[in-house]
Amino acid sequence: MVPVVGPLLAAAVLLTLPDRLVLRRVVALLATAAVIAVGVVLLVATSDGAVPVLRVGGWPPVVTITLAADPLSALLVTVSAMVVLACLVAAAGTGDDCQRAFLPLTMVLSAGAYGAYLTTDLFNLFVLVEVMLVPSYVLLALSGGPGRAGAGRVYIATSLLGSTILLAGVGLLYGVTGTVGLADLAGTAREVPAAAAAGGVVLLAFALKGALVPLHDWLPRAYPVASPVVVALFSGLLTKVGLYAIIRIYAVLYGGDPAYHPLLVAVALASMVIGVLGAIGVGSMRKVLAFHMVSQIGYVLLGLALFTAASLAAAIFYLAQYVLVKAALFLCAAVVGATRGTDRLSRLGGLAASSPLLALAFGVAALSLAGLPPFGGFLAKFLVLRAANEVGDWLVLTVAVLVSLVTLLSMLKIWGVAFWGEVPRAARERTARPGLALLGPPLALGACALLLGPLGGPLLQVADDAAAGLLEPAGYVRAVSGR
Amino acid sequence: MSGPLIVGVLVAAGVFLLLRPGQLRLVLGFVLLGHAVNVLLLAAGGLHRREPPVDGGGPESADPLPQAFILTAIVITFGITVYLLRLLRRGARRGSRPPETWDGGPR
Amino acid sequence: MILAVVLGGQFLLAAVAPVLTWWLGRNAGYLLAVGYLAGAGLLLSQRPLLLADQAVAVSWPWLPSLGVYAELRMDALNLIFALLVLGVGAFVMAYCPRYLSPDSRHTRVYVTMTLFAAAMLGLVLADDLLLLFVFWELSSILSFVLIGQDGRPQARGPAIQALVITTTGGVALLVAVVVLTVSLGTSDLHLILADPGRLATGPAWAAGALVIFAAITKSAQVPFHFWLPGAMVALTPVSAYLHAATLVKAGIYLLMRFSALFGGQWPWDLTLIGLGLLTAIVGALLALRQHDLKALLAYSTVSQLGLLVSVIGVGTPASDAAAILYTIAHALFKATLFMLVGIIDRQAGSRDIRALSGLRRAMPITVTLTVLAAMSLAGLPPTIGFVGKEAIFEALITVDAVPWLGWIAAGLAVLAATLTFAYAARLVHGVLSGPTRQRELHEPAWSFLAPAAVAALLATALGPAVAILSPMVERAASDARPQGPAPYLAFWHGFTPALGLSALTVLLGTLLFWYRRRTGPVLAAIPTTPPFTGYLERFRRALLRFGAVVARPAQVTAPAPYLARPLLAVVALAAVAGLLLGPLPTGHPDATRPGDWLVLGLLLVALAGLLTTRSALAAVALTGAVGLILAAWFLTTGAPDVALTLMLVEVLTTVVVMLALRGRPGRLVAPGRRVGLIAGAGLAVLAGVAAAVATAALTGRRDLSPAGDWYLREASAATGGQNLVNTILVDFRALDTLGEAVVLAVVAVGLIGLARPAKAVGQRPDAVRHAVDPVLELAYRVLAPVMLVASAVLFLRGHQELGGGFIAALLAGTAVGLGHLAHPAGAPLLGRLRGAPLLTVGLLLALVVGLAPVAVGRAFLTPVKLPLPGVGSVSSALLFDLGVYLMVLALVVAAVRRLDSAPAGPAPGPIRERVR
Repeated sequence: MVPVVGPLLAAAVLLTLPDRLVLRRVVALLATAAVIAVGVVLLVATSDGAVPVLRVGGWPPVVTITLAADPLSALLVTVSAMVVLACLVAAAGTGDDCQRAFLPLTMVLSAGAYGAYLTTDLFNLFVLVEVMLVPSYVLLALSGGPGRAGAGRVYIATSLLGSTILLAGVGLLYGVTGTVGLADLAGTAREVPAAAAAGGVVLLAFALKGALVPLHDWLPRAYPVASPVVVALFSGLLTKVGLYAIIRIYAVLYGGDPAYHPLLVAVALASMVIGVLGAIGVGSMRKVLAFHMVSQIGYVLLGLALFTAASLAAAIFYLAQYVLVKAALFLCAAVVGATRGTDRLSRLGGLAASSPLLALAFGVAALSLAGLPPFGGFLAKFLVLRAANEVGDWLVLTVAVLVSLVTLLSMLKIWGVAFWGEVPRAARERTARPGLALLGPPLALGACALLLGPLGGPLLQVADDAAAGLLEPAGYVRAVSGR
Repeated sequence: MSGPLIVGVLVAAGVFLLLRPGQLRLVLGFVLLGHAVNVLLLAAGGLHRREPPVDGGGPESADPLPQAFILTAIVITFGITVYLLRLLRRGARRGSRPPETWDGGPR
Repeated sequence: MILAVVLGGQFLLAAVAPVLTWWLGRNAGYLLAVGYLAGAGLLLSQRPLLLADQAVAVSWPWLPSLGVYAELRMDALNLIFALLVLGVGAFVMAYCPRYLSPDSRHTRVYVTMTLFAAAMLGLVLADDLLLLFVFWELSSILSFVLIGQDGRPQARGPAIQALVITTTGGVALLVAVVVLTVSLGTSDLHLILADPGRLATGPAWAAGALVIFAAITKSAQVPFHFWLPGAMVALTPVSAYLHAATLVKAGIYLLMRFSALFGGQWPWDLTLIGLGLLTAIVGALLALRQHDLKALLAYSTVSQLGLLVSVIGVGTPASDAAAILYTIAHALFKATLFMLVGIIDRQAGSRDIRALSGLRRAMPITVTLTVLAAMSLAGLPPTIGFVGKEAIFEALITVDAVPWLGWIAAGLAVLAATLTFAYAARLVHGVLSGPTRQRELHEPAWSFLAPAAVAALLATALGPAVAILSPMVERAASDARPQGPAPYLAFWHGFTPALGLSALTVLLGTLLFWYRRRTGPVLAAIPTTPPFTGYLERFRRALLRFGAVVARPAQVTAPAPYLARPLLAVVALAAVAGLLLGPLPTGHPDATRPGDWLVLGLLLVALAGLLTTRSALAAVALTGAVGLILAAWFLTTGAPDVALTLMLVEVLTTVVVMLALRGRPGRLVAPGRRVGLIAGAGLAVLAGVAAAVATAALTGRRDLSPAGDWYLREASAATGGQNLVNTILVDFRALDTLGEAVVLAVVAVGLIGLARPAKAVGQRPDAVRHAVDPVLELAYRVLAPVMLVASAVLFLRGHQELGGGFIAALLAGTAVGLGHLAHPAGAPLLGRLRGAPLLTVGLLLALVVGLAPVAVGRAFLTPVKLPLPGVGSVSSALLFDLGVYLMVLALVVAAVRRLDSAPAGPAPGPIRERVR
């Protein structure tokens, strides 16, 4: 409950506070830190297979909304809150939060995301997704540069269409089954074809929100227009909720029905390939990173598609580490933007010499993204490959390997130009030195990426627990439905 | 058959408006789609029960849950529509430049 | 434990290196060298244990759920490679202080090189496949950093090239690791190697091929050899250490380690022999035509690594011993040569063989050492190079997979060795002969020369004294492949065929050198880079172009294409579902009432008008009409709350749209091109059909839901409310309601934060803009109070009858909107309302009320009776609803105030989006 209410309360308090920036920042940071603490508590509480539930309003399970935390939810709440925390600090560095609305909106957005991870009710999920998305519309418009109007329109239009489809899907599910509670719906799509069709509409909506190929192009169109801190926030929360919902719904509602594996694998592979190809074809840091999101989402979906204990654990591990790494990269872009005033590759150069710490943070995160050891990304890639090999899928294995190589190529492209290239003349005059608030967050997230390699055991343990919960959702279902 | 048909015509009209150029059509298209989903939700509760769900209602009482869903959805759609109208206002004042010309981190 | 101490110590050295350089500047290298030597000494102390065929090991759990342990293990083979890493490292570290310029601390060079040494050490000690892979890639990354040197222009390309090639190999290794781990169920290296029979044929082929691929990329074998000469842009100590002695030996180590698993199978053996000899010859040929001494040495390294690879393919105890011995020899003399070339470069200012001449007079010691090292390179007695090369010839002759293959292999090796002799002679001749051209050329300081001198002398002395190495090398050979004892290594074997081959090599090499003027043009015709690097580059460019094509759909400005794809997906989903869906339960016959058809007819008329009109006003009005028709229909379906809400929302929406459109040309954008129109219409029809079919198929085919049934039976008793829909909103599903209210609040925040109020934009007196309309004014005066009272009544009775916070707030909002229409400058009383405070109070109220029960140990949003002085008590649900009311009102107020877009001066352009 704290993850949802805490930030909302903070948002309300932020709205009442006078224009004392320091005070406002402290409130937002404290709320987020509290969420991290709760997330960790939930992680510990769920580690023995228990599923803590909260029945909002204290009514019987059939008629009310139940929030529940299993290892997957707890992990995602924790990781998301870490990203939010980093973004808040970075926003203080870039000055994004000087906009009066920035902090309250961020709080509401994050509350929606945490809620979406915890809720077990599909209609409530729709509402919370809206709670998350509507602030994002405003943030995009608040923080974007020129061109934000067009990008904002595309963004709002697509996500609104997604929400409409989602609501229609939820309605159809209710029409077929008479319930919108995930626990009551468990396994129905496997038994009732009509429920599978209705669930398909819901999944389609989340595929659009999660930017899966072929429904991906809104993301690289819209995200790069927002300020890098805001994109980091979006990348850590928004599409991940779509992805989470797909994972959860496929596992619970469909019971991982193998009939859909080929389709999921195809979508996953297409996302991986198209995303990475797009990334090498564009010319600004944020655009490259935005396309990579599509590619990485494909990796996670791949883990889901194979639907074995190993592959699910791989997907969850991948998701967690990639959220952190991606945020680190976007925050690096934020530092670049703040010091050089642009993140277009053609106007960058010499960053490695002018700010070595930034180069370090970017290097670590980029190598982790490309799946090179000793960073967390390599374990994630190893787990995915291992899962693919276990089921003997050589096509998947080959594509995953090639995509990771192209990922490295695209990261090297950024590195070679922006960090090693000649300092462009325009940049020589206006090169500010990044402060701690700017550099700290990407460095901290980079450190997380680094530590996830050698110390990946605990995270893998959580991922294993979460995978077990997805593979065999009976415990989750029992706890939520109260039966 | 009436419920599905109402949904169908609303969706068709809404989609048609969405795919046409122009801000206002986009907004109105989403308004129509919102209506369509509301009718769908109501149909999901079962259109054969048409008495208002009040305490002590008879066997014909409609399922109150979809109605609550619709109320929530209407209000959300209203909020977003209002926000979209703001876009309409902005979009009119200055056209969108292509994103490639943009440059720049936060000010 | 000692392994962990040494490896940890190496990382610790890297960590303290900044302190050392801060304290000692470039001289920190000496202390680091001592550190390396200490590590080497510690490892060497385990020698007796290893010779007794035991191993030292240590392990920690790393990923326990996968059974992966961070495990280090050292047998004789590991020890030899570890000693190479630390020993050559110590030489190079001692060489660095005088090589590096005195004006800077060189912290990054020292840190990276020490880290690299640690990674390399980890690589040769790792006993877990995953750990091995980690260090393997780490060494590639650090090599990239060292080659790149902070992006010096000429270093960028080679650094990236080296990284791409080595990580491609690394990925292959990772896949091999995955294959082995999955098919054998463990990633423990020595367990895997101990029982080669367990590996099935399929995975064995895959893993074997992948391991070879990884090794030849790292060890710069044909066709991936070109990255190594490129890497010569790095500092000379780096070249000496990484690109001669250690990094490139990682591939050799890998092949040697895995020969226990794959060796003895002809594909593995023949691939290694063939590739190795090919590389040996190609590398030597290319070396022969270089003028830059570093490039010459680089190609020479390629060539000699090829020789090593081919010997590993032979797979006898003697060949393994030969490979190990030559690995040691090569590391020693090649690192020495690099160090000496670096010295010559520093002293003479050039390392071009054509610019150097007659150094023997000015720098006799340096030249002597160079000659010694070059003798080792050429395989002349008495050096260790000679012993190593003899052993290699001897091993190659014994190949017997195919008749005569042994002699063919040995012949090719002789060819490579002949070429090697010739370029070694060129090197020596270049620095030795001719007149001394440069003035002020002199011997370097002894401290600069010392590390190279010690190494050169060691390489020479170890030839006759090879017996010192013998036991360890033999032990290592049988550790690599347990198949019997290796022959005793000796300086003098007697008159063997190998000795004859050595003599032949010297003879042919001398001839080749003698006729160098004639062979020069022939050599110059050989392309330096393999032909496929051009294809590789073309492929890279094609990839970039293709990427740009892939990225193009995401650059379109108009939203329509982004919407079309999801809509198509919906249609496709409906089509597939329609095909696959089996029989459905029958629907209820009385779901359709006669009145419905009237509604449908009205709808069709309104929609037809909406789709065809070009007047903005008409479009808005018709949309409103659609809403009202639906509201009427909702009344007939038992949903009065919905109907009322929808009605109010329609009215408000229309008001707000009118405000937003005020003063704007009332035309919609032209419909656009005909093709788009038809495609759009087609998709619209398909989507409509899909939606209708889905609704027909998936709704109305079951009885009342369990939840609905519960509400009808129990809700009223449980909450005390009569209006069940309202009880759901404020009691059972209050979280949804909170969420939607928050959405509205956010929109209000957005409107307040984004749009400046009209006054700030326009700076013109409002009275001029819009005179107060007397009719609207009257309407406002009469209606507003009524609406407000009605609003209050609706709010208070919401729980019992038709009404509730939403409806009430919408009604009040309508009054506000009316007020704004009547008094654009600010209506009396209601015009004073501001969005921000309303929504803040509303949000706080809703949250606090929701949290209140938590204080007494109940769940969030549990309704409780709160004492209220005067009235008795009030349900917290009512207060919650009040919060919602305030937030809804806040949005309306904000919308009315902020969206009023009356023209600021000249009329703005039509409402359209400029499509690029």
